[in-house]
Amino acid sequence: MRKELPLAITFVVALIALLSGVVQGPIPGLGVSIGDIYGNYIGKWMTVVSAFALCLASVNLILVHGRAVARKRSQDWIYSAILLGTLVVYALFRTYVELNPADEAARANYSLIYDYILSPLMSGQWACLAFYVGSASYRAFRARNLEATVLLVSAIVVMLGAAPIGSLLWDQFPAIQQWLLNVPSMTGQRALLLGAALGSFSTSLRTLLGIERGHLGGM
Amino acid sequence: MNIVPGNVFGFWLFVVASGVIVYIMNLSQKGKLTVTLRPIAGLDALEEAVGRATEMGRPVHFSPGLGDIIGTSAPDTLAALQILSYVTDLSAKYDARLLVTIRMPNVFPLAQELVRTAYSMANKPQSYKEDTVRYVSSDQDAYAAGVIGLMHQEKVASSILAGLYMGEALLIAESGASLGTMQVAITASITQIPFFVAACDYTIIGEELYAAGAYVSGNKARLGAIAGQDCIKLAVMAIIVLGTIVTSLGSNFVQDLLTK
Repeated sequence: MRKELPLAITFVVALIALLSGVVQGPIPGLGVSIGDIYGNYIGKWMTVVSAFALCLASVNLILVHGRAVARKRSQDWIYSAILLGTLVVYALFRTYVELNPADEAARANYSLIYDYILSPLMSGQWACLAFYVGSASYRAFRARNLEATVLLVSAIVVMLGAAPIGSLLWDQFPAIQQWLLNVPSMTGQRALLLGAALGSFSTSLRTLLGIERGHLGGM
Repeated sequence: MNIVPGNVFGFWLFVVASGVIVYIMNLSQKGKLTVTLRPIAGLDALEEAVGRATEMGRPVHFSPGLGDIIGTSAPDTLAALQILSYVTDLSAKYDARLLVTIRMPNVFPLAQELVRTAYSMANKPQSYKEDTVRYVSSDQDAYAAGVIGLMHQEKVASSILAGLYMGEALLIAESGASLGTMQVAITASITQIPFFVAACDYTIIGEELYAAGAYVSGNKARLGAIAGQDCIKLAVMAIIVLGTIVTSLGSNFVQDLLTK
């Protein structure tokens, strides 16, 4: 029963969600459409379930980091303390802003947290990607075998085709770059996409029918 | 009640495809059809990744990706959770410490219950700790930063990244590579595959993500579904070839049929 009930709920809800996008018009005898059932009931239930899931997740976050601060086993406890402090301050600040919509100064100061703390942190993190692309490319492009050599040559041609210096060296580089992206690369991507789409469909069907139960624990 | 115009062909294709997959699944389950999958090195390496963590006395990290269990990313996340179930079994078997990081709140209770159940079924409920499954953040950047921080703090020996990934794929994978972590990436996110190939020891791509659950469990019905999926793939390929020929001859028959 512990697994059968979730599987039965999954089947009914997934079937309604699936049909709501494909079938239109009222169900004979009920007078409402499947889309109405999905929009008026299941959509709202999902919001409620998501809210409870967020509560559970937040409790886990507070417990894990609260324990790290209490035990102080490693020097990293300070990061947990910062996280918990930020969580409390941010939650209180947002609550105040929501309860006092007329307080423009509070709203403006709340935006400052985004503009001067969160935004620079995120920009800094994404800027690291440039260096990571360099180090990852170095490892990937080492010509250790035929495949890696083809990858290396293709990458050099694509880079030269995209960079202004490429067309100055040889005016055919941009055309070759476009061909590489539009023909061999696109062919591979479409093949992957087709396989992934069918795999996704098959996984959904197995889950819908209750054959795939791995996500409920135990293989 | 009728089918929405434009979805008629899609609806009937769905019905036929479902019928074919269910039929082949039944054949496989009853033993009338033997389905074998080709070896997938990355999935075989999962045991090596957990074993390495045990030998080094360090944790195994698992991420079910950025996807949710609702919406279009649900199949990726469900497939990742099946792999998590297998990795938990392995962790229980080898007494390796498992750390699971979660991005979406909806996935958190499911992953927590899955890991707890898997440990209980392996007769090792004491191995499950409150911090085994950790919610990090639903924000993509904060999640990546949290995972990278955890990998550094806990000095993880192996990292398994399964499911849907976006721009932070390289941030996480390259951080792991710089730490000398053994990494296995399993994703159908086409734009992130090159980054994982460059930064991880093993990368499992495309539909292999969805076949992973069947592969590691060896369940006959699940293996039958993979065979059924291949039959549909052949049919789709036939439609593509037919459409190319018919359209080249000047007819819109296949286009009209698909958009009916």
